[in-house]
Order: sequence, then structure tokens, then C-alpha cells
Amino acid sequence: MKDRLAAAVTQSRADYTEIRVERTWSSSVAFRGRRLETATVSEDQGGFVRALNKGYGWGIASFTSLDELPVMVRRAHELSRAVRLTEPIRLADTAPQVADAALDLDGDVRGISLAEKKTLLETYNGAMLAVSNAIVDTQSSYRDEVSEVWYVNSEGTALYQLRPEVVVSGTAIGRRNGTIEKGLESIGLRKGWRSVQEFEDRFRVTAQRAVDLLDAPRVRGGSYPVILDNELAGVFIHEAFGHLSEADFVYENPQAREMMTLGRRFGKPVLNAGDNGAESGLRGTLPYDDEGTPTQDTPLIREGILVGRLHSRETAAKLGERPTGNARAISFRHPPIVRMTNTYIAPGKAGVGFQDLISDLKLGVYACGAFGGQTMLENFSFTAGWGYMIRDGHLAELVKDVVLAGNLFQTLDRIDHIAGDFTWNQMGGGCGKGGQFPLPVTEGAPHVRIEEALIGGDV
Amino acid sequence: MIDRLLETARRNVDNADALWRREEQTAVAFEAGRLKAAGISEEAGVNLRVIAGGRMGVAGTTSAAPDPEELVTRARASAELGESVELAFPAVAASQLPPIPTFFDRTANASLDDLIRLGKGLVERLERPGCQVNVSVEREIADTAVGNSAGARGEYRGTAIAVAADVTRIAGDDVLMIYDHYVGADLPGDADLEALVRSIETRLTAALTVVAPPDGALPVVFTPAGLAAVVLPLEQALSGKTVLQGSSPLAGKVGELMFDQRLSIVDDPLTPGRPASRPIDDECVPSRATGLVERGSVGRFVYDLETAARAKTQSTGNGQRGFFGKPRIGYTNIFFRMSADGPRGSNASTSVLGGGLIGDIDDGLVVDDLIGVGQGNVISGVFSHPVGLAYRVQRGEITGRVKDAAVAGNAYDLLKKIGGFGTDGRWLGARWSPSLLLEGVSVARR
Repeated sequence: MKDRLAAAVTQSRADYTEIRVERTWSSSVAFRGRRLETATVSEDQGGFVRALNKGYGWGIASFTSLDELPVMVRRAHELSRAVRLTEPIRLADTAPQVADAALDLDGDVRGISLAEKKTLLETYNGAMLAVSNAIVDTQSSYRDEVSEVWYVNSEGTALYQLRPEVVVSGTAIGRRNGTIEKGLESIGLRKGWRSVQEFEDRFRVTAQRAVDLLDAPRVRGGSYPVILDNELAGVFIHEAFGHLSEADFVYENPQAREMMTLGRRFGKPVLNAGDNGAESGLRGTLPYDDEGTPTQDTPLIREGILVGRLHSRETAAKLGERPTGNARAISFRHPPIVRMTNTYIAPGKAGVGFQDLISDLKLGVYACGAFGGQTMLENFSFTAGWGYMIRDGHLAELVKDVVLAGNLFQTLDRIDHIAGDFTWNQMGGGCGKGGQFPLPVTEGAPHVRIEEALIGGDV
Repeated sequence: MIDRLLETARRNVDNADALWRREEQTAVAFEAGRLKAAGISEEAGVNLRVIAGGRMGVAGTTSAAPDPEELVTRARASAELGESVELAFPAVAASQLPPIPTFFDRTANASLDDLIRLGKGLVERLERPGCQVNVSVEREIADTAVGNSAGARGEYRGTAIAVAADVTRIAGDDVLMIYDHYVGADLPGDADLEALVRSIETRLTAALTVVAPPDGALPVVFTPAGLAAVVLPLEQALSGKTVLQGSSPLAGKVGELMFDQRLSIVDDPLTPGRPASRPIDDECVPSRATGLVERGSVGRFVYDLETAARAKTQSTGNGQRGFFGKPRIGYTNIFFRMSADGPRGSNASTSVLGGGLIGDIDDGLVVDDLIGVGQGNVISGVFSHPVGLAYRVQRGEITGRVKDAAVAGNAYDLLKKIGGFGTDGRWLGARWSPSLLLEGVSVARR
């Protein structure tokens, strides 16, 4: 395949040409309540060509019929020539890469029967349903894939990557009369069959929580000191800061560049954050991004100061910085854009734990688990799965509907304590940007304390 | 393709239905006011569902030349694990399908240069100092064919165009993002583009002043865009799937008055000019409108074939399918409107922020965008979100934009008494609604 793509690139009349071809084998099983929804195996395949000419813009073609490859290479060139530019697009230099990179399949999902996958999911789904009669509905899904990705460009890069992925997730719906609550559990890794075994307990606990929340009060709206658990702290850094560090937001906008000047202080000296696509086995892990740049650990905030950002080759060239291996596409249907991989808040002092963060709080909220998050850059939300009040330095009652309203310039700077208990999230889900969703990413963090944050609700 | 596939299926399974679709997209993107990229995308695929031994299985592929035997074998393997279901595939002749235009020559024939000109014109009208303008124009032409082993066949060709614009204004540490779009089956006319520009301008101008948010239980006008958090729970609860599963708060409430008597909600796949309109659904059920909420009372829920079979009712023609996985329930064009309105609702000015509903508000908000919609415990009706774009209303006038505030409420409680329907009804994607004035919405501030 590499040779076939290299030959097609050679035929291209464009100054720069890249071709990405993907073949994805996947299987999925889904339960809704006690009923199996589907158990199926799918194959998806297609290609993507991007061409660039000096003085012109990008020409892009994506297609499912590989026989069309030579035609699509020509179309991409023609489309590029239709986009006249006064200021040319430049790509930052990267050393050509030639490699076959197969990630650890950790139990190749292609060798496991659909029936075994159904049995595994039935166990997890059953564990949720067995918790209580108040669990009226569940949605459980198992999905795996092994994606083969070939990438060749006209600068000599020729890569083959084997990318596995497995996600098991379950939602438990608890209901009593008019009150409905949900619990959400998911496990997602860039690994295989072995990594999703023996999680019954987690699904059971999740369903029990949905039942417990039926009797829990809603949190009162207002500003509180808030402790984020590891999972939500991870989602927080992704939404609060990760998206702002994606250079495609600033590279064409002088005011944004000024706002995000390297060296600017965003947090107290306790805060260190970064993005690491090279960390092994996580959901956002990749050897090379979708422009053929090797991934790396990129520091973003060091001791509260902005020190880096995430780049594609185009944004790096424009800002005079180095590509970081963050140009990613969700599939052959899309061009690569600047995305996160595995984004983290680095641990604080070893030995500092949750108890140390709450001992001096008279009233606060412990926000746990993540239903999701979304950013509008300066302002963002992150939605906890559940929470507890903290009263007089102790964990108190369970509360629900804990949604935090964040502000980039206020919330980050109000992080005043960071525990030493770092963990990587292992959730499924994914990130959405520019119509590309869900991109596999994850986050990692220890427990984090925010001196004051706004929580929505009745006031 | 469909005939060959169903013929192969007939020899191997009890029953089958299938969808074949081919899509061709052309897109241009302007970044920071400059044309940056032009692209095309071609995709074809097929989705097959079989009933074998009384059990259901599915298989799909995007292979250029799908092998019918291989697909049927894969669907049968899926059926071996599948649940049993008594699915009656509808038999319908193409001649019985309702007439609805889905294909517009002007859209299909627009050249790359036409699309570039359209985008460029919009960029020029939106550009202003200190603002970054991004515009994208995407045109799609799709051929769809559906069929089943009961002899039903349906085919149609559709066009769609989406023109999206966003303006970002960064002043110091203040980030303001304003977005709008036009989506239709036909090319936008001058009036459509003018409405898009005015909608962005109006919201931008009113946002230049930042004022302190109020707090408490307040009257809030939700614009058609801001309404998403309030209507999403209803869209979930009116799906036959959540009703069947017992998680819908509206299950068992058909005929009961659950909302303000002036509120009606209709799903209508036969709305002219909308890209989601089609003569037949993806399971060969002819299209027709469904009254979901009629004068405040729960009407019908929407169903696909399988959910309808399990719930012992009829499909409403809301079956949707992609290339992979099995068909599921999906809305087409959904209308939220005052019961007295005609089928298309009133269509007045979109350039008046608040749709004429703010005059009597002493202190409250106009909410145009909320952050994190869809991420909470949606089906319960409870929502709580930071504001993405919202304005303060004082003594009947907008006094400026508010930041760092969060609104919360329960959609079921709030929609029991609607304070007013705006005169600014419009399409937003596949949903048509005016602004709604809702009372007693919780507003918290930092």
C-alpha cells in the first residue's frame, strides 16, 4: 500500500501532496435494558488527499473508493489552484519519517468472537440492572476497532500505523415517580480485549449511585471552594486550558496571540500542565500524528506560566514554533486540525491527598466524575456526575446537578492546592471540534482545589 | 445495488431491508477572512438488516464494490446473536409516496466559484476592525435508495447547503464569539444572507457593553438558539425508545395536558426546502407529519419499525440509518410553535433580539447560548449551564452582555406556563422555533 501511495504522490503536480488511507475493522455490541440492541462487525475504509501549491491554499479530497486515488490526487491539486492566497501557507520543517508503528494490541480484538464480546457486556449490563428495581433502563455498549493507517507525503515520509481502540460504557437510569437520575461509567483505552476485563464492580457502583442520587438534594447555586476529583480535574484542564492552547485558535488572530503570549501567568506556581501523545496505551496515544509528525510531551503551563502550545505544521510555521505532533483527523473523511491527545495537570507534592485539601474548608463542594465539558474559550462548563458537600473540613451529604461555570482567567488562577495522587483517566467518550467528533483523547490529574468557583442551581 | 443485495438476502434469510446512499460534498473554508481551503468528498455505502430465524442482524460497508454474499453472511452472523423480533416490513409502491421536492437544481449546479463567491460576499459584509471572521460553505448532493424483501422501493435525490459564519472578537481578556448559519435544500437568497448578517450584527452590537449579571429566580427569554437546553429533554422524552424503556417522563401521558396550552410540537418530513425532508424514511415507511404535542397535551411519540413492533404500535416513519449499525429513531424537521400559528409558523424579523418579549421584563436575561447542553441528566428535564452568550434586560431594555452567570431550571416546570412566544421564529438546523419567555429561571452569578 505504501508503494501505491508513494507512486500516486509522485504523479501529483502540486508542490506538496499527502495521502492518508485508512482501513478500520470494528465490532460493536449494545444493550438497552435487558434487550440486546445490536452485535455487529463492520469495515470502513477510504482515503484522503491534501495538496498545496505556492501562492495557493489547500485542496482537499476524501473518498471511499480507492480506485479513484489518481483522480483524487489530481482533483486536490486543482482545488488548491482554485484558492488564491496573498500570504502563502507555509509548513514547518519536519524530518521525513519512514516507519511501521504497531501499537500493542493487548489481546487482538479481531481474534475474539462476537459472542464473547456480547457475554462480557451482558455481565456489565446485568451488574447494573441487578442493583435495584429503581434501575429502569440501561444503555451499555462495547466497541472495539483496529485501524490500519497509511500515510505518505511528498517530502519522503511513509508511515504505516496500527491503532487499536476499545471502549466499554454503561449508563444506568434510576427512576422513582417523577425523579430520574443517571450514572455513567466508561472505560476507553488504545488497547485491546485484555484491558476491559473484570470491571463489574465499577458498573455496579455506578448504578448504585444513580439510585442514591434519587434521594439527594440538588446543589444550591453560588460560589464555593471546590475540590475536583481526578476524573473531573482532567476534564477541567482539557476544557479550561487545553482548547486555548490549540494554536489554530491564535495563529491568525493578533488579539488572541497577545492574550496567549508565552510567558504570561495563568495560575499560581503550584500549577503545571501539558499534553502528552507519546504516553503509552492511553486513549489519545499515537506514535505519529496525521501529518506524520512524531508525538511528544509538550509542557503548556510550568509553575503557573504559559510555556507552550499545541501545533500542526501550518500553525507552527506561522508562529515560528516547532510542530508538536497534534495535527489529528477523526478519519479519512476529514483534514487534520490541531487537537489534544492526553492532557494533564502534573501532580503536586507526593503524599498530599484529598483530606489535606478539605481540612481547612468550612463549606465547599467535592465535585466527582464527569458527564462532560464544553468551552467557549474564555468561559467553559464542566459537568460532574455527582458531588458531596464539604462541611467543617469533612465530607458531608451527597448532592446532584453539580455543573461548574469556569472562566479562563479567574478559575485557573484560583487553583491553590494540588494533591500528589495523579491518575490518568480511562474514560471512553471523546472530544469534538470543527465537526470532528468523537476524537479519542484522555486526561490525567490529581485532586485539585479551586478556591472559588461558580456552581449553577437554585439560589 | 439494493435489488442485487435483497435478491442475495432472499435466498439466505427470512426477510431483509437495506439502504444505499451516495454523497458528494463540496466545501470552501474562509479563515480569518481569507479563503484557505477547498475540498470535495465522495462517499458511498450500504446498510443491510436481515431477519434470520426470527432474529435481527445488521451489516454495513463503505466498500466501493460491496460483495452481497459477504454482507449477507456478516448480517446473518449478527442475527445469530440478535434478539427475536416480529418485524413487518412495509410493502409500498413508489407511486404512493407523498410528493416533496428534495432536489434543487440551483444548489446542485452551483460551481466551486459560485460557492467561493457566496462565502466571500458574506466575509465582506461581516468584517469589522478587531474581529476575526470565519465562514464555511458546504454543498451536498445525495442519492438515497431504500428497499425491502416485501417489495417496497424508494429512491430520491437531495441537495443541501450549509453556510456558517462565526465572528470572534477578542479585546484584552474578553473573548466574544458569535455564530449563525443558514441551512437549506436550496441556495440562500439575498434575504437569507441579509438575515444571517443582521442576526450576527445585532447580537454583536448588543454584546459590546459588559454588565453585571442579576441573580435569583428571574424571567428569561430563550432565543431559538438558547432554547436548546429546554427542548432537548422533550426531544428525548418524545422518542418511542425512551417511552418503551420506561425512562421517559412522558410515558403513559398521551392526551394529558403537560405543557402550556399554546405549545404545539410537530415533526414534519414534508416541509418544503428543508434538507431533512424526504418522501420515505430509511426503512421504507412513507413520510408524514407527526403531532408530538398538541395544544399542550402529549400527542404521539416517534417510532422506527423495531421500536414500534416492540411497543405494539406503528412506525411514524422516523427510521434513520447510517452505513453501520441498525436503524434508530430520528427526528426530521421539528417545529416548536404557538398552537394558533399556521403550519410554518409566523416568520417575522430575526434582527430584534428577544423577539419582542423583553418589553415587560423589569430585570432578567435574554439567553442566546448555553455551554455544555446535553451533558447533564437530560431526560429528567433538569438543566444547569453557564451562559455562553446572554444579555441583561433592565426595565424592558437590553443593557449589555453578562458573563460568569449560570442558569438552571426544569424544562417540564418551565414549559407549563410560557410567558410569551416571540415574533422571531426561525430555523436552526432542523428545528424551527421562536424565542420563548419563561418565568422563574434560576440565575446564579459569581
